[in-house]
This record gives sequence, structure tokens and C-alpha cells, in this order.
Amino acid sequence: MMTDTFAQTAPFTILFLPLLGMLVIAVVGPRVHRAASAAIANLAVLGAFALTVALALDVWHRPPSDQVLTVTYPPAWAAHQQFWAHIPPLTVSFELRIDGLSLAWMLIVTGVGFLIHLYSVGYMLDSRWYRTFFAYMNLFIFAMLLLVMAGNFLWLLVGWGGVGLASYLLIGFDMHRPAAVAAARKALIMNVIGDVGIMLAMFLLFAHFGSLSYKEIFANVTAAGTPALNWIGIWLLLGAVAKSAQLPLHTWLPDAMEGPTPVSALIHAATMVTAGVYLVARAHPIYDHAPAAAQAVAVVGCATAFFAATIGCVQYDIKRVLAYSTMSQIGYMVLAVGVGAYAAGTFHFITHAFFKALLFMAAGIIIHNLGGEQDIRNMGGLARRLPFAFWAFLVGTLALCGVFPFSGFFSKDAILDQLLVLHHPVLWAFGTATAALTAYYMFRLLFMTFFTGGFRGKAQTHAGTVASMSVPVALLIGLALVGGWIVVPGHDGLTPLLRAAFADTGTMAALDHFSGIVSLAALGAGLVGFVAAYLLYERPSGLRPTLRRSLQPVRNLLANAYYVDATYHWLFEVPVLTLASDIARYLDPEAVAGGAAAVARTATAAGDAVRLWEAGYVRRYGLSMLVGVVIVLALFLYLAGGTAALGGR
Amino acid sequence: MQIPPVADYLIVAAALFVVGVVGFLVRRNPITMLMAIELMWNAGNLAFAAFARSFGDMSGQVFVFIVITVAAAEAAIALAIVVMVFRRRRDADVDDISVMRG
Repeated sequence: MMTDTFAQTAPFTILFLPLLGMLVIAVVGPRVHRAASAAIANLAVLGAFALTVALALDVWHRPPSDQVLTVTYPPAWAAHQQFWAHIPPLTVSFELRIDGLSLAWMLIVTGVGFLIHLYSVGYMLDSRWYRTFFAYMNLFIFAMLLLVMAGNFLWLLVGWGGVGLASYLLIGFDMHRPAAVAAARKALIMNVIGDVGIMLAMFLLFAHFGSLSYKEIFANVTAAGTPALNWIGIWLLLGAVAKSAQLPLHTWLPDAMEGPTPVSALIHAATMVTAGVYLVARAHPIYDHAPAAAQAVAVVGCATAFFAATIGCVQYDIKRVLAYSTMSQIGYMVLAVGVGAYAAGTFHFITHAFFKALLFMAAGIIIHNLGGEQDIRNMGGLARRLPFAFWAFLVGTLALCGVFPFSGFFSKDAILDQLLVLHHPVLWAFGTATAALTAYYMFRLLFMTFFTGGFRGKAQTHAGTVASMSVPVALLIGLALVGGWIVVPGHDGLTPLLRAAFADTGTMAALDHFSGIVSLAALGAGLVGFVAAYLLYERPSGLRPTLRRSLQPVRNLLANAYYVDATYHWLFEVPVLTLASDIARYLDPEAVAGGAAAVARTATAAGDAVRLWEAGYVRRYGLSMLVGVVIVLALFLYLAGGTAALGGR
Repeated sequence: MQIPPVADYLIVAAALFVVGVVGFLVRRNPITMLMAIELMWNAGNLAFAAFARSFGDMSGQVFVFIVITVAAAEAAIALAIVVMVFRRRRDADVDDISVMRG
């Protein structure tokens, strides 16, 4: 059976090609030309992508009942009851899960990942640590693939921690800048909070199911009962919230923009931050039977979508606007998987990866050409200077705002439509309002960057867009344009695979639903946002200063991102730092150092006292012997009852 | 001849012993100190002999001989040390040879 052999070996090869790439770069990197390191990294990811496409086609051609595979390595072990780890009663196999859900993520991680690797070849050319960068990028691809391909929660957690590590390394890639290092630390700490959530969920899963394997848990998920499933869902949500930068653990993502722009595009827009969406979609049998946890997921997603969009409206850093936009869009996805629209959430992840990676790469071209300038107040009029970046940015913006026929239109409408179909009108209203905000902040960004008068900055543009940067951007322009047709209703694409992956939920039928009213409402909301941005930034009038004055308190609130960072600062940082400095000031010198000095003083005094007996004067020894003898004798007499011993007779 | 009671012997022995102790503690000449030690030995011997006689048991007298032997050995070693110290320092004051203290 040729195909079965392929389906057995391909996942393993896909997973370990990027790891192999990283190891090869680490071992031979310093001895070969830096271009060779880049080539190794690119080829590893490209190979993984090609194999993923072949695997997806292989699975696609199977009958629907055979489209969910669990592959165990080494293959012979499964038959012989051998396990990767066997600690009774826990057994863990090295198993990979291949279905529509993991294939969707694998295709994006390797496909978009390859484009961003290619982009980095040019973007990172000036970096001193060129080889290290590509090694880290390959490590990230490996960890992310492990996360989405894992067949049980243990391997998921390994990948989950791995992407956190890669993210940490890449955010702090410019380790000579304190801001980058601080941002990396912040991201790692926030992510570890999420890791703890997943571990707690795993403990509960093991307690209730005696296994960590998806196959065994999902097969009899109802056995645990609703309260237990709700708790598992809540802890998984904690992990998802931390990794996907949802409220209230979102503050690390805007800071993560300290990393190089390709990193922002790959990890903090297209792939890693959507891991929370993947987790909820993967655990959908649990959430289907845990209504309270699913409700919490939906509310968190909806709140994040709305609040992140409002913050994005007042930011001036081009990458920060995109970061808040990413949070907002992932909020949409989390909202979708929270209400049970798993396929719609996955769909939005795919299109979002296209257009958000495109936006980041276009922003990267601008930043690259302006010598590191990121503040849009110092840009303006760039449409003529950087026409290619402008067109790329325009396509990305239109796709993000959900304009027909760009990819975002289909996926965002799928989510909004399903919110109504599944009877969540309030969430739908917030989702549609967010669409208006999205259009406002994106066009504000577009106008301020490319139009609004002339160039306001001092930095000189130098034509430096090399082919390795423009080719992936051009490809992503195409994908952002037509990517929506992958899952469009009535079209084939990934839909059958997703249908098989989510066959056990009752919400798949809704994917074929299409409502013109919902689309018109979303488009109308987007138009409102666009007109607002146009009037405020392209039509100089008295309106903008007036609005500015009257809305100053709101502006301050938004510009400080609802003071969440400040709250965390006062809640956690200040008490800990105060305690530490108090310890350093009082406890340490008084108790610790003082205690040590007291011990030393006591020992010295005891030594001095004892030394008196060792004076070297023979007569003093004689005297002490005499005193000793007298004491011993007196004691004897006293114990023997006095005169009875003396009188003797 | 009336044999004096054992208590009289013990009084003499105690007196000898006290003289030995005081002599050992107040004199600084090692030869004199050795003589004081000798007094203490013999105070003990006198008590042994008196008790042996009093109880009619010869083991006390045997002890006296052993003590004399040991005392002779002690005196030999001690005098050897004193001679060595004297050769080195032209002096034999015990307070001056306190350099071996801890």
C-alpha cells in the first residue's frame, strides 16, 4: 500500500525537517557562508511545505471516514504494546494527529512560514547574528508543527512550550536593546502562566480519563460529566488566553513588536498567537459538552476583539497598530470557536495568516527603507516613494476590513453569519461594531503612512527592497486576494477535510449558510469606519481638533491601553519590588548579615574562653585538676548520701 | 604496742597530700614541683598501707609497690624533660616554658 506508507512517514518527516535544519545550521553554520545557512533554513521549511501539500492531497482523496489519522512512531510499537513512556497507569505514545484541523495549521505554518523565511533572507541581511536568526526560525517552525500535529496533550504541551521558547529568543533577538530583552521576558512569563493552565487541564484530563491521548479522551468525553469538563475547558482557556494574547493576558503582544519584523509577521501575527484558537478547536469535543467554558471562550474572544480594536485606533507605532489588530482578529477566531463555529474560526485563521503576514511584511519594507522608523507621525506621502509597499498594504487592509472579494470578506462573514445562526445576537452586534473599528484604524494607518500631506520624517528613503523581500510579498498579495475561495460555500478546497475533522459537532452544517444581510451589515460597518478615517485624516477641517479636545479623556484611556499594564505594574511588580528592596535594605543587613556576624562573634568568644584553659602554665593545669577532683569527690559524696560514704564502717 | 587507729594515718596522709598540692601550685621550680608530686604519691601510699593493715588485706600493700614503680618512671621522664629544657634555656622556670600553649 503505497499511500499508507506515505501517510505513515510524511508526518514524521514534515515535523523533523525544520529541526534538522536548525541542527545543521547550529553545527556547520559557522563554517559555511551565511547565505548557506539561510538556504538550509529555507529549504527545510520549503521541503516541509511540499510534503504537507502532498499529505493534504493524500488525505483529501480518502473517503470522509478515513480523513482523521493518528500515526504512532515508531509504527511497529503500537502493535506490540510498546510506548514512548510507560509509567503505570500513564502510557504516552509518540503519536501525531493528521486531520483537516492540523493540516490547515500545518499548511499555513510551513507555507506562510516559508514565505517569511524567504523575506528574512533580505530583511535580516544587516544583522550580525544572521545564522542564529535562521536557526531560531527553524526551531520555531518545528515547535509549532509539533504543537499542531501532536496526537495527545503531552506532545501538544511540548510544542506549546517550544513555541514560547522560540518566541522568547526571537523577541529578544536584538539582545543589546534593553526594551527587546524586557519584552522577551514579559512574553515568556505571560506564556508560562498559560502553560500552567494547560498542565492543570492535563492533570484533570488524566484524573478523569486516565489518558492524555486525543483519541481516547474524545471517544468517551461525556464520561467525565459537565462540571469536570467545564473546569478542563477553563484551564485550557487560560492557556489559550496567554498564548493568543486575549484579555486579560494580552499585554505581552504589543511589546513583542520589539522583535524583528519577520518575527512579528510569522510568530506574532500568522501562526503562534493563533495556537489558542487551535487548542479550543482541537479540544472541541470537550467544549461541546462544557457550555460554561465555551461561553467563557466566546466572551473572552468578543471582548478582546472589541477592546483591542479600540486601542488600535489611537496608536502611532505602525507595528503596534498591527499588533492590536492581530489581537482583535484573533478575538474573532476565539469568539468563533467559543460559540462552536470551529470551521469558521479555522477559516479566519487561514485568511488572517495571509493578509496579516502581508501587512507586516509591507510594514517591514517601509521600516527597512526608512532606516528603522516606526512612528507613523514621521511618515506620510509614502505612496509615491514606495509604491510596491503601498499596493501590498492596500490589499492587506482591504482583506482585513472584509471587503469583497478579498479573503477577509469570506472568513469574517462566516464568523458573523454563524454568530446569528447559532443565536448570539449580542456577540454579533459587537463583532459588527468591531468591523467598523477595524476599518477605521486600518485606514487611519493607511492614510497617515501613505498620504496625509507629504513626508514628515527626516530619515532618507534608500531603495533597498531586494527580490527576496518583494517575491514573498507579491505571493501573499495573491493569497490575500483569492485565499478566501479555499473554504467558500459550495467550493471544495479544505471544506471536506474540516467537515471530517469536526464531524462530531453539530455546527458544521452552518458552514454552508450564507446571509446577504449579515454581509451587508459588516460591509456597511466597514464603510462607516472608512468614511470616519477619511474625513478625519484626508479632509483637513475643524472637525479633528474639536473631536480631539472633547474626547481627550477617552484618548488617554485608549492610548494607555485601558491602563492594564499600569494595573499589573501596581498589582504585581510594585509589591514584589517593594518587598525585595525592603528585604535588601532591612532584613538582609540586620537579620542575615547580622545573624552571620553574631555566629562568628559567639564562636570567637567561645574560643577565647576555652583558650584560657590552654595557657601552657603547668601550675594552672594542676589547679584545674585539683578543682576537678574536688568537684567529682564532692559529687560522689553528695550522691552517696554524705557521711555514709565517709564514715564507711 | 598499741597500734594507732587508721584515722590517724589518714590525717597524716591528708596533711602530706595538701603539702604536696600547695607545693605543686605555688613553686615554679620544676625540681621542687616534682618533689611535691612525690609527696602526693606517698600520701596515697600511706593511705594504701594503712588500709591494708587495717583490713588485713595485702592487696593494698601490693598497690604501694606498683605506685612506687610508676612514680620512679614518672620521675625519670620528668627529670629528663627538665634537663633538656635546662640545656636549651639555661633556666627551668615552668611559667617561662608556656610556649606550647594552644
